[in-house]
Amino acid sequence: MPSIEFYGTGLCVLEQLHEQICDVRDSQNRIRIMYPESNLEMLMARYQGGDFAAATALVNLVSSQLHRFFMVQSASREDADDLLQETWLRVHKVRHTYRPGQPVLAWFYGIARHIRIDHYRKTVRTRAREQRLEETANVATASGDFGKAEGLEVLLATLPESQREVIEMLKISGMSLEEVARATSASVGSVKQKVHRAYKKLREAPSVVQELGRRQRVGTP
Amino acid sequence: MTDREINELLKKAAQAPHEVDPALLQGIAKGIESSLRPVRPLPSTWVLTTGLILICATVAVAGAARAGFYGFEKMNLLERGLIFPLLAILACVAGVKFVNEMIPGSRSWVSPGVLLLISSVLLVSLFALLFPDYRTNHFFSAGLVCLAVGLAHAIPSALLSWLVLRRGFAVSRVSAGLAAGTLGGLAGVGMLELHCPNFQATHILVWHTAVLLTAGGVGAFVGWLLHFPVGVSRR
Repeated sequence: MPSIEFYGTGLCVLEQLHEQICDVRDSQNRIRIMYPESNLEMLMARYQGGDFAAATALVNLVSSQLHRFFMVQSASREDADDLLQETWLRVHKVRHTYRPGQPVLAWFYGIARHIRIDHYRKTVRTRAREQRLEETANVATASGDFGKAEGLEVLLATLPESQREVIEMLKISGMSLEEVARATSASVGSVKQKVHRAYKKLREAPSVVQELGRRQRVGTP
Repeated sequence: MTDREINELLKKAAQAPHEVDPALLQGIAKGIESSLRPVRPLPSTWVLTTGLILICATVAVAGAARAGFYGFEKMNLLERGLIFPLLAILACVAGVKFVNEMIPGSRSWVSPGVLLLISSVLLVSLFALLFPDYRTNHFFSAGLVCLAVGLAHAIPSALLSWLVLRRGFAVSRVSAGLAAGTLGGLAGVGMLELHCPNFQATHILVWHTAVLLTAGGVGAFVGWLLHFPVGVSRR
């Protein structure tokens, strides 16, 4: 029997939207609620109008995607939590910069990306001051430690950051090329090129990918 | 490993549930609630761009009016008909670019650096085509004056443009600074074309174009300075 997951509050808004909701079963036969972009736009417009229920619904709907985005960028869960909070603080502060009719996910990811880059710079500088540069976080690839990292993170750890974020947005978050281009302030052609290069790199890193494939066939986490 | 297998792996990874601590989400929602009030979305791109163009045109014309329209009076119809429309088109493009840089998730068709480069190449090409006098009288003395006057109009234009977009949010401050500098630089070049009666090709090619490049560079540098998070050493 499949289960339905709802997170947190804001259900009154979600109930109003239920007719436009489509559901998709994930690998564990649970139903994941997917919301068309137009619903997010509607919620965003209501959030700008000061509707708390819409704001809560947005927090519940978008946070998991943003959190995964941060996790994929080699952040620890604690870092991802901090980055998510920081992103929402910024989103709240600059919510007037969203204009109705524009792709809302691209807007969210544009801000999240800015927060992540700022955080990365801050971390690098702090580490440089403490002279501990050699202890950078990007060790998953080098050590090949599958036990510590989750599958997706290990798979994407073989890629440079710019390619990783594009693959995450395009393949994991299900954004369109146009939305990814907007979120990364790049042209669609540049995004396509990054995806092409990322795939090339993944094809050339068979040990990581094959290990993941083997683990998925065996069913180990 | 084929693309299909990689796609399959990515698809499976994407379908895996990713949960966020409900307490964290509740905390975020609570934080929002305490300061939630209605906000007015930014106007559309064309409204903002029109505002920026008006500011730049006003600064350039006001500066030339104060110093004299000697350059404009000395130009023939062809020169006027080619230089000012080109400056207007480039200013429109730079204005749209600056607006896009100040709004997250905006469409990006060209980077501000490329835009600055294209603008400079187009202006240099047009100046080289229109002004065949290759004498170099008072090259540095006259040139430095033009550079200073151009920048004196470019910087206020960029600052006023930034004031118009102060409610925006630059996801890349260097790019936003570069776009603002380019826009201001075009205002500075516009003012010089209206005012400067020195039609020696080398003077216009080097010093008038230098206003655009310098303003863009200053804008990018200011953006780079602002890029550092508060309280973090730049060492």
